[in-house]
Amino acid sequence: MKTKKSIWIAMLLLTGVLMAIGATRSGSPLTQQDRIDSLTSYLACPTCSGESVFVSRAPAAQAIRTEVARQVGAGLRSDDEIISYIEQRFGGQVLLVPRATGLDSLVWSLPVAALIIAISLLVGAFARWSRNKPGAPSAQDEKLVEQALAEVSNKQSEG
Amino acid sequence: MLASAGIIGTIGRALLLVGFVGSVFGAFAAITGVRNNEPRVIRLVSRFAVLAFAAALGAFAVMEYAMITRDFSLAYVQKVGSWSTPALYNFAAVWSALEGSILMWVLILSGYTLAVCFWMRKRMNESLAAWAMAVMMIVLAFFFLVSFYPANPFANGAPGVLDGPGPNPLLQNHILVMFHPPILYLGYVGVTVPFAFAIAALVTGRVGEGWLLATRRWSLFAWGFLTFGIALGSWWSYEVLGWSGVWAWDPVENASLLPWITGTAYIHSVLVQERRGMLRVWNISLLVATFSLTILGTFLTRSGVLNSVHAFSESGIGAWFLSFFAVVLVVSVFLIGWRGDKLRSPGVIDSPLSREAAFLANNVLFAVFAFVVLLGTVFPLIIEALQNRQIAVGAPFFDRLTVPIGIALLTLMSIAPVLPWRKASAETLQTRLFWPAWCGIAALVASLASGAYGLAPLLTFTLGGVSSGAALRQVVLATRRQGFRGLVGRANGGMIVHLGVILIAVALGASNSYSKSQELSLVAGVPATFAGHSFELTDVIEVRDDRSVSVKALVIVDGGKTYEPAITKYTRIGMNVGTPSVKTSLTSDIYLTLEPPVRQDSNTAQIKIFIKPMISWLWIGTGLMAVGTFLAAFPGRRRRPTDATSAPVLVADKSA
Amino acid sequence: MFSKNLVKVVSGVVAFVLVLLLWVLIISKPSDGQVARSPLLGQPAPSIVASTIDNQPFVLERRKGSWVVLNFFNSTCVPCINEHPLLVDFANREFEISNGAELYTVVNDDSDIAVREFFSKNGGSWTKLKDDNGAIAVAFGVARVPETWIIDPNGLVRLRVTGELSEGLLEAQLDKLREEFTS
Repeated sequence: MKTKKSIWIAMLLLTGVLMAIGATRSGSPLTQQDRIDSLTSYLACPTCSGESVFVSRAPAAQAIRTEVARQVGAGLRSDDEIISYIEQRFGGQVLLVPRATGLDSLVWSLPVAALIIAISLLVGAFARWSRNKPGAPSAQDEKLVEQALAEVSNKQSEG
Repeated sequence: MLASAGIIGTIGRALLLVGFVGSVFGAFAAITGVRNNEPRVIRLVSRFAVLAFAAALGAFAVMEYAMITRDFSLAYVQKVGSWSTPALYNFAAVWSALEGSILMWVLILSGYTLAVCFWMRKRMNESLAAWAMAVMMIVLAFFFLVSFYPANPFANGAPGVLDGPGPNPLLQNHILVMFHPPILYLGYVGVTVPFAFAIAALVTGRVGEGWLLATRRWSLFAWGFLTFGIALGSWWSYEVLGWSGVWAWDPVENASLLPWITGTAYIHSVLVQERRGMLRVWNISLLVATFSLTILGTFLTRSGVLNSVHAFSESGIGAWFLSFFAVVLVVSVFLIGWRGDKLRSPGVIDSPLSREAAFLANNVLFAVFAFVVLLGTVFPLIIEALQNRQIAVGAPFFDRLTVPIGIALLTLMSIAPVLPWRKASAETLQTRLFWPAWCGIAALVASLASGAYGLAPLLTFTLGGVSSGAALRQVVLATRRQGFRGLVGRANGGMIVHLGVILIAVALGASNSYSKSQELSLVAGVPATFAGHSFELTDVIEVRDDRSVSVKALVIVDGGKTYEPAITKYTRIGMNVGTPSVKTSLTSDIYLTLEPPVRQDSNTAQIKIFIKPMISWLWIGTGLMAVGTFLAAFPGRRRRPTDATSAPVLVADKSA
Repeated sequence: MFSKNLVKVVSGVVAFVLVLLLWVLIISKPSDGQVARSPLLGQPAPSIVASTIDNQPFVLERRKGSWVVLNFFNSTCVPCINEHPLLVDFANREFEISNGAELYTVVNDDSDIAVREFFSKNGGSWTKLKDDNGAIAVAFGVARVPETWIIDPNGLVRLRVTGELSEGLLEAQLDKLREEFTS
């Protein structure tokens, strides 16, 4: 048993080390097109419903892609500046990731709340189930058994 | 021609009316027959089912006839028909727009109703069966009504029209348009069957295990087709749309995903009900949710509430689906609230470390998953309703939240197959998980060796290894014990489905994290390199036919085959469609698109290149899922009530 | 006691949430033909250097001194087709008065040939501007057509109308702006 446990600990350590190595190393450098793709993934196509400019084949998306490509190529603006340039013209509806402020933040907090509620319900259910185990002797039963045992032992000592 | 103008439409409409009346009478017969206990009336139900199916089949055939003969007296043919559309795409054009796809829904639903009627023909007098038929007839009546009135495919069009624009060009250039919608609908519509039985169980108060077991294959059938349909949609998106991805989290995709999520949760939790008699009300709620989500999804995608087009527009069909959605919910929630408490089982789940508990955890995760997708999809509507401004919720939101859920599900998939029912000890787990854990470490080492990085993808690959080990272990043990029978049945087929899911998860992890792209200006005869591959443009050609003009760039990849990304202009509609060209291999796909502006007579082309790692594993995984679902439909080893459970319940745990 | 009615309680909560969801879905409606907001209102108009469909050059800044009306248009979009007669009337009216506004059509994702055909069939002799890579549309934040913009003689953006124009809307808004401008 002990060797099994230590093998498991060794495996977990090995996994942890390998994971740490992998998580901290980085891949090949990003191309300019990668930067354009990533920027356009954060912009919503104004004529679609939730598709990003990167995905959508609509003409409006095409136009924004061309503009983003032009600005990335010019190299004068940072990512945030390019996004706010587009946002200044199309309005807030062009941001694909809802902000974390105000009413919009609900879209982030509600799922987390749902997860917490669901897990607590599950934990609560398990707690209730372990309390109400059918077949487990209740306090009354235990008392009856004690009484009966006491009577039997009394009878034995008497008889 | 003039004589037939109007006749086709009249016949079609008449058939739809017959179908509507037939299904109304069918519902009526089922309900009155079962309430007044009159078998003669109940026998009528099957006749009405045949009538409704015949009417639907007839209406669909008439529609196809009108489309094939290019009968432009019908408004729908004017909308999607064209003399220049090839025959196959013209056939599929029937379901390329709203009215025709509702007609297809009617056809498939009437087919299901007839099939259920036939399957239950000897037991129709049972109240459960009769009520289930009634529910199906009511839903069928609704769809017949929608097809007869607001979404009428047989409405007369403007006079004097001799040709049309044809279906959307995106639906004209890949054979998949023949398969994806019907297969998806077989799943989507098929969800009605278990829903009908769930409602029937609530109404009659008989929520015992009998009806569950009986409808198992129906649920699996619908779920399997829904899964395959969604996968085909992703494949279509990849092959046709040209953005190199498979899933964009747009409302149409989410509408099909939501019932799949609750359906998958149901497939797992129903096993707990079979084994332990628990979670009855929860399972009924899952079935109600799955069906309601199909209606909600249809509302969201057809009403124009979320779907914007090139110009401002509006559609009236939404109100119908929204009302039906409301009715379904009101009735179902009322029934559950009324009956639910009496139907709850007194059972308990013994231990948090048991297969039942794993299925419960699975359901929690899937419930949260469904909540996230639903919330993200309707959130723009909520904000607009409350603050009158428009926002967008898209892929970055969904990706960020579903990746942790996916990793949690992979973890669960690693442990659950080795967990015994009722109770497990640490020793059992240690022994059973030993080899799967080594598979995980092997997967981690292999990924690191091939250059993987980043915590989320590495977790995905490692857990993918562990869960494959767990699934394979189950299959290997079963085949050792029973030979080929070890591959069929719920548990073993399910493990093969799991393997498919794992392949898909790993493929998505790799392609989402490690895709690279570059745009190259290629000059004919001058090769360029990117990411270790060489690309040489040989020519830019133009291809004309009577419906389109295509400009194709001929590119030789890695000195081998020529690939032809293209931009096609559909002259009748004036729409430009880009067509990608893909070099597939097991390790990665090289995805080429031609970028505008194109000049046909020049010898240069702007080519955008995507390197997509491991995309083919997605399709292999889908295939495995299909195979596994098929295998799971067969009966496995019959379990007798006196069989020992898969692990002895440890008695001596007081000393441990 | 709580556990006995658990299903009823949960159903009640679910029903409440669903009623809210239904309310949200019911009141969602797209709007049409409205004076709309834009971050550009009151700001200098984006600089436009483009060519007309007759390949003549066009520079927006050189139009300073006149009122400029830009109409983003596509020959297949139904509301654009519907509002076209109103634009023809508007152009005629402005042609008659002194210091009349200059109307320009910005072609949005359409071929020159289709636009020429449309205008020759339906009238309208004002200048049409090409916008092949959508740069003008992006500069103004125009995603859907039709949209109509009014720029004052100082080059500031004053009005944005999204969707199909209603009868008299453009004239009334322009007159109002003219009054504000001269006062």
